[in-house]
Amino acid sequence: MLQYLNILLDDSAVSFCHYEAEKKQRLMSIDMLKAGIRFAMMENLMIQFVFPDSPLPKEYYSVIDSIDHFNIKRNSEDSDVCVVENWDFSKANANVPIVVRTTKEVFFQKHQLLNGIIAQAKRINIIITNVNTFNNDDFKEYKGILDALREQVERVYIDRKSPQLNLLTDRMMLKEMNNCGAGDTNITLAPNGKFYVCPAFYYEDKGDSIGDLEQGLEIRNKQLYKLECAPICRHCDAFQCKRCIWLNRKATLEVNTPSHEQCVLAHLERNASRDLLHNIRKLGSLLSEQEDINELDYLDPFDKRDEWQ
Amino acid sequence: MESDNLIRYKNITFIVTKDCQLACKYCYLVGKNSKERMSFEIAKQAIDYLLDEKRNFREAGVVWDFIGGEPFLEIDLIRQICNYIKFELYRRNHKWFNNYRFNFSTNGLNYHESKIQKFIEENLSHLSIGITIDGTKRKHDLNRIHRNGKGSYDDVVKNIPLWQKQFPNEGTKVTISSDDIPYIKESVLHLYDLGIHAVHINCVFEDVWKEGDDKLFEKQLVELADEIIDNDLYKHFECSFYSEEIGKPLTDNGNWCGAGMMIAVDAAGNFYPCTRFAAYSLRSKRPIIIGNVKDGIDKNKLRPFLTLNRTAQSPQKCIDCEVASGCAWCQGENYDAADTNTIYQRSTAICKMHKARVRANNYYWNKLYRKLELEGTRDEFEKNRYKVKPFIC
Repeated sequence: MLQYLNILLDDSAVSFCHYEAEKKQRLMSIDMLKAGIRFAMMENLMIQFVFPDSPLPKEYYSVIDSIDHFNIKRNSEDSDVCVVENWDFSKANANVPIVVRTTKEVFFQKHQLLNGIIAQAKRINIIITNVNTFNNDDFKEYKGILDALREQVERVYIDRKSPQLNLLTDRMMLKEMNNCGAGDTNITLAPNGKFYVCPAFYYEDKGDSIGDLEQGLEIRNKQLYKLECAPICRHCDAFQCKRCIWLNRKATLEVNTPSHEQCVLAHLERNASRDLLHNIRKLGSLLSEQEDINELDYLDPFDKRDEWQ
Repeated sequence: MESDNLIRYKNITFIVTKDCQLACKYCYLVGKNSKERMSFEIAKQAIDYLLDEKRNFREAGVVWDFIGGEPFLEIDLIRQICNYIKFELYRRNHKWFNNYRFNFSTNGLNYHESKIQKFIEENLSHLSIGITIDGTKRKHDLNRIHRNGKGSYDDVVKNIPLWQKQFPNEGTKVTISSDDIPYIKESVLHLYDLGIHAVHINCVFEDVWKEGDDKLFEKQLVELADEIIDNDLYKHFECSFYSEEIGKPLTDNGNWCGAGMMIAVDAAGNFYPCTRFAAYSLRSKRPIIIGNVKDGIDKNKLRPFLTLNRTAQSPQKCIDCEVASGCAWCQGENYDAADTNTIYQRSTAICKMHKARVRANNYYWNKLYRKLELEGTRDEFEKNRYKVKPFIC
């Protein structure tokens, strides 16, 4: 069921996920913005406005404030989600979730910078932008880094704090899949007045829309965005997996089928989360109500398809 | 039977040419042409890759399919490819050595030619050849025509005796489109008269059906059932329209189609999950290329095919259908007809034809078993039941 509408206020609106936004500015018209807000009100959707770096014309802010909403911005004090690029946390707002967009190469180099902010930040979301390029060596390195970060998170727990780092702590808290939800729980309105499954679909092919403000939504084969129609994912318990619909389509040509790389990364995180939960419980009664995370003998559920098909 | 074959045998298809002497009206190949002919170098690279990758192919045996257009237009290339395969299987001491077949579906027009006959002689023990003949002359010539519009029946039927002599157990594949329905009964009986024991017959998957086609189809199948049973033809002949396995609710969740478990390679050296995903087979969609002979197969592109099941692609009416078993689908046609670029939207264009088939099929088995019981010959029938060679799609 749809719950959220992302409104890209400009073509250069900050990316908060795997995709790259455009550099060139193209502002959404104010009439379109008003129509988008009206659509969200009629459909009972919570709006997430995605801002460009450059300031908007003054009249836009009053229109934006006419509705309850979230703001997604880069390095901003007044954001509800703060996007950090280039690992520069100097302007990050620690009171809101911080999204760190990074390539795997830079993540491998700079992950230790997280140690300094895990305890302070309300929440950190790491988004690795080139997931589908991971190879076996990268998986090994990623596992090692997750183990190192896990030890850091454990230390914060010893101080009786409850840090949130999506790669490690989300799985401990979840009892069911909680994925990106593009096309299912959220859609995107782009500056051209058309709806898209998510911003990535807009930037990749502007002809790939799922309706517009005049004609309304038309999500064809919308069942394919739901977990029930995802044969691999519906049997999986890496509940924290982003299950990125756009990466799915890029790698496998189907929105409901994840790549091998996405599955393995999600399972390495899941397994690190399992170790984390185990160790935190040793500290006392912490997280005793959470369900156990079972040990698995695989990293890609596809390899076990004979058992669940 | 189909899925069983796919587990035990790897199907590897060479699209050796996209050219054909015929211009059949129902042909799904929308992009036939005389330019895209496979080179031996491409075929060799494909074979080398596939044999190098034996770790990824667990099947005990292999069926090397040759398809076109009309494959026998490229008999020199085919002979070269087959010789290379045999040599490499031997040289590598490969598990498929002596567990392979070469399989052809041909229009039969040049079957008698010396080069083809020489190839047959050289490979007979590892060879399956099916000649497509659609039935009576008027039925066959309705669709299977030369480019100048002339029917091809006379050119094919003259080669049937030679083919039957060489491959007495091979069946023929008959395709039914809307205009063919009135000729089904006479066509199957005619093929029996020609000595063909197994008629593999199916309706096209494309959305071609007109109002009332299902009633006409059912009538033809009931009349054919009467002819087969009243004249004891069931003892020696088989028609795939009648099967005790069809028309029941389904409990398993498997995929019908084997796309993705098979591999096709074209003249450009691109790999496909089946020939139906190559550009020349698709009306409205981009081809699905899963790799090429230089870089190999992109396993991520195979994941949707290898995890595809019935419920994930079927509308609720198909999941709930009480006569679902035997209702076939073609993954390529599903993709081509889908509202988005997905293999996960099942086309249901064939629904009313399947239901008509089920009704006629029920009639067939009820009539046949009553006859056998009244004659006291049911046990004998079961014991001597004509077993057709399974047809490999």
